[in-house]
This record gives sequence, structure tokens and C-alpha cells, in this order.
Amino acid sequence: MTDALEARLERILDERYHHLHPFNLRMHEGTLSRDEIRTWVANRYYYQTRIPKKDGLILTKADDAAFRRDWIRRIHDHDGEAGREGGLELWLRLAEAVGLDREKVATCGDVLPGARRACDAYVEFVASHDLLESVASSLTERRAGTIMVVRIEAWEKHYPWVAPDGLAYFRSRTVQAPRDAREGMAYVLEHARSPEDGDRCAHALERKCEILWSLLDAVEWGGSAPTLAPGMRLRSDREGWLTVGAERAVQLNASGREILELCSGERSVCEVGAAFAALHPNEPAAAADAYEFIEAMERERVVRCASRV
Amino acid sequence: MAPRPWNLIAELTYRCPLRCPYCANPTNLDDFPATLDAAAWADVFRQAAELGVVHVGLTGGEPSVRRDLEEIVEAAAAAEHHVHLVTAGLPLDGVRLAGLVAGGLASLQLSIQDAEAEASDRIAGAPSWDRKISLAEAARELQLPLTLNVVLHRENLERTGTLIDLAARLGARRVELANTQYHGWALRNRKALLPTRSQLEHAASEVELARARHPDLEIVFVLPDYFADRPKPCMGGWGRKNVVVSPDGRVLPCHAASELPGLEFHRVPERSLREAWEDAPGMNAFRGEAWMSEPCRSCPTREADYGGCRCQAFALAGDASVTDPACARSPHHGAVEAARAESSAHSAWTYRGKT
Repeated sequence: MTDALEARLERILDERYHHLHPFNLRMHEGTLSRDEIRTWVANRYYYQTRIPKKDGLILTKADDAAFRRDWIRRIHDHDGEAGREGGLELWLRLAEAVGLDREKVATCGDVLPGARRACDAYVEFVASHDLLESVASSLTERRAGTIMVVRIEAWEKHYPWVAPDGLAYFRSRTVQAPRDAREGMAYVLEHARSPEDGDRCAHALERKCEILWSLLDAVEWGGSAPTLAPGMRLRSDREGWLTVGAERAVQLNASGREILELCSGERSVCEVGAAFAALHPNEPAAAADAYEFIEAMERERVVRCASRV
Repeated sequence: MAPRPWNLIAELTYRCPLRCPYCANPTNLDDFPATLDAAAWADVFRQAAELGVVHVGLTGGEPSVRRDLEEIVEAAAAAEHHVHLVTAGLPLDGVRLAGLVAGGLASLQLSIQDAEAEASDRIAGAPSWDRKISLAEAARELQLPLTLNVVLHRENLERTGTLIDLAARLGARRVELANTQYHGWALRNRKALLPTRSQLEHAASEVELARARHPDLEIVFVLPDYFADRPKPCMGGWGRKNVVVSPDGRVLPCHAASELPGLEFHRVPERSLREAWEDAPGMNAFRGEAWMSEPCRSCPTREADYGGCRCQAFALAGDASVTDPACARSPHHGAVEAARAESSAHSAWTYRGKT
């Protein structure tokens, strides 16, 4: 049964891991803009910050000291320890290398709402599932080593404007991820004793693939260009500003109006966030507010976000 | 104080070239000879803007039977409203539609009766399919936002998925799958129109599949009152967001309210729209919550459903002031169950009368 389960998990990764996501395909073929690279780096940092918390939750589920001794290494890999820098620090170096403000990235204040939901969903998944499913969900590491090798090569070739030492995180994972994946797979194959256990592991891995996929969806959304939907008009009346369309009218406060006026079709979601934040220098959450507002207006079909690819 | 109305539903005429058996227009159409002329409508639109209205839906009957529709559209646009036209697709045509867009028409809702020509024409009671399809194509050409509206009932519910595909193919931005509301002619034809629960469940699953096929299409499908446990917030509440002006100038909270006995509404131009909206006894009869009796009065969902539909309460319980019988908590809910039991595949409908 273990061979069959391993093959099943590998097939899930072949079919659903985010190496197939259009954003990653574009990243590796070298067609991402600098802004797209930056959006990805800033948002993916939030994912990095969730990893040690997720691993902490896994530790609390384990009764076996040997398991915990091995697994805790993953937290050290990310957080660092005396004399060794961790993955979080290396990622912030990547952020600097692509031209982002390190401190700003570290606060995670400008993370896109969809990216935040995806990363939080991973921590919540682990919090609400047992040890076996939690370990199974980590098996996306199985492909992480390979994708890092592809990525390093692609970045060196296509994005020479990124300083080479910025890629240290990617390099570190080419060693760590295969080791973590080997240990994780061994644990799953040993502890998935029934067909039902196998199903649970498969579902956990599928869910994790969905989470990684939706993180990239969110990054793509950040690069899309919001405009008023066709037939929708921004106007004022004696009580203030509103949008009116075929099926709905939405009353706007001053911020809502400013954000919609910035949604000219030339700016991406991220650029609207930045422009809105520039108008409100004393409000640290301004960009995040703009993202949430655009998202809500898109849900109401007041705004349409068109892909610029 | 009366709330701000956002939307004016302007019923320009009860005349219509179609004879759909589900029509919600009054069954005594011949009692309404008078219609407001274009100048009177222009005045209504200006007054509506003063009241806070920002959206005008031009409907009927079939609004395009009016030769002065161009003038009416221009007047609504001049009063700063979003001008939305609800049409059966004829006698309007693409050439005339282009003129209406030039005059300020901002969006179009086109009705269709079924997913293919013969069935659609049979339900409409008049040849109309070809005209509808070419109007949809004209709307696409003009980049006019299009909503396709289909009234669902026993005869077409099984084509729900195909209807959604049709909407996507026609370039509609939104499709409204509106289960028949049993007012007017529809109430008269209820036996023949009311679907079975299994038809509805099938339709609901078709909708879910279609959502995956057409992610950019807005698909509106609501379980009909007769099969839901809770009533709908009819018109977003009585006299709360929407104001209806009937062809003869009566100012109403919904298109069917004039059929309720004992309610006094005002009429434009005899009274101002403001007076008719704020002060008419009929308009205030079911505003807010003071009129409610049990089980609505103490029900936590009253703020979401406003007690449901007054016209349905009258039609099914004989009293417009009781809880909508569509609500499972209504003591009259048995009337809904009885109607469901009574519906029959063997019933023939009566087409809407010619006007």
C-alpha cells in the first residue's frame, strides 16, 4: 500500500503543484515585470512568516520526542539560530535585492487580502487537522527543491538586475527542502495505515496545493488593472459620491471615491494601493484598505479587474 | 420620515406584443386607459432626482411600443439617472436601440422565454425569438451592458443550464433566472406554471455547473417563494428603496400593490412625487415594522425580510397585513403547500389578454 500511496501523492504534485501556475511559468520563462517580481516577493514573505508558526503547531501534536527533535529543525531553518541566519532573514535580503523596503516588507502591512487568506488558511488547516494530515500537507516540499533549481537558473538568466546574493534563500532550500520532504514522506508512509488514512493524506496535500495556487492567484490579482465595470458610473449627488449601474448603487465615503478615481485602468491593484497610501501618509493601513475595498467592489461587480498579461 | 428611494420603476405602458401567461401586470388591463405623456414622465424623473433616486428602470408592458420612448430616455438621462430599459425585444430593433443609446440609455434587460425559438415563441404567445436574438446582437455591437432575463416555470425550468449558456453566447453580462412570482396573470395560471420540487432541484444543480463554465457571467437564481421556508425581502421593503409609477401615474411601492383593496395611493401629476412617496396612506401602510403582527413582530429575521410580500399575503391569506404565507412560520403556510399539491402537468394556461 505504501508504494501506491506514494505514487498517489506524487501524482497530486505532478498535477496540482504551483510549478504549473501561469505566474510561475511566466516567472521561469523570464517575462515578469519588476513590479510583478516585487509583488510576489512582498506577498510571499507573509507565507514565510507563517511556516514556523505552522511547524510550531505540528510540534504540539507530536507525542514522540524523536519526531519533535527532527521537526524543530524546520523552525530553526526559518527563524535562524546562533551563528546561522534563517530563511526569514534571507527572504528579507531577497526583498532588498529586488528593490523593496526591507522594514516595510517585514511588517506585512501591504499583503494582498487573497495572499493573506491563503497563508492563514494553511496555518488554520494544520491547527484543525491531526498530525498525519499536517505532515502530509507539508509534502509540497517534495517539489520545492526542483522548483528552486529552475528558479535560480531563471533569475540569473532573466532578471540580472537582482543582486546575486539576493538568491541565497532559494539556494538554501535546494538542500533543506529535499531533506524535509524525505522525512515527511517517510513519516506519512509509515503512519498512514488504512485506506482512509491514505485518503486523508491525499486530501491534505490537495488542499495545500490549492493554497499555494491561490497565493499566486492573489499575486496576479495585485497586478491586474481595476476599472469601473462596464455601464458603471461614478457620480455625486447632494449627499455625496456614489457608483450607479444597471443593478446597484453604492454610496461611497471620501476614501472610496479616491480609490475608485485611482482605478483608471492604467494602474494595477498594487499601484492603486501605493497611490492611495501616498495620499494618506499617516495611515499605515491605507494600501491594505484600498485592496480590501477594490476586492469588495469587484465582488459587487462595481469594479472589474482586467489581467494585463 | 420616509426613507430615500434609490430606484424608480417607470411602467410606461401596460401594452405588450407578447402574451406570456406568467405576466405580473394587472388582469384588468382595460381599466387603465390613461397613460402619462413624455412631458409628464420628464417631470417625474426630475422630481425623483430631488427625492434621491439615481436609477430609472423603464418597463411596462413593453416600453418600446411607445413612439416617444426616445424622448423619455433623454429626459431620464437629463435628470442624471442611470437609464435602464427592460424590454421583450420588440417592436424595438437595433437601429432604434442605437438611437436610444445616443440619447443616454445605459443598460438593457432583455427577456427571453425559453432556450430555443419554437418553445420561446410558444410561451410568449407570439413570434418573437428572432427579434430578441437580433436585439441582443445589436446590444453587443453597441457595447451596451446586457442582462438576459428568463422567467422560469414548469415549462422551461429543465433548460436552465442551456439558458445560461445562451446568455453567455449572446454576450450578456448578467442572467436573471427569475422564478415566476404569482401575481396578476401568473396567479391565474398557477396550476400550469408551478414547477415540481425535483425540477427546481435539478435547475439549482444546473446553475452551479454553469457557474463553473461561465465565471465572468453574473448568474442570479433564487429559489421561488413557494419552495423556500423564508419569505423574500419583497422590493427591498415596502416603500423603502423602490418607487413604482404605473402607466396612469399611480405612485406605488411595487407593481402589484394597486390590486390590494383598501389602500389609497396618490397619483402624479395631481400630487407631487414627494407627497405621493412620503404621505400616501397606502405607501405608509406597511412601512417600517409597526404594522407587523405575530409571527413577524417578534421574529429576528423581520429586519432582513420585512415580513415578505404583502401582495402574496393578500393573495394566499386574504389579508395583506399578515405574515407572507411563504414563511414556514406563517399560520397560512398551508395555502402554499396546497398550491404545490394542486399544480399539475395537465393544466393548460390562459395567455395574457390582448391590450
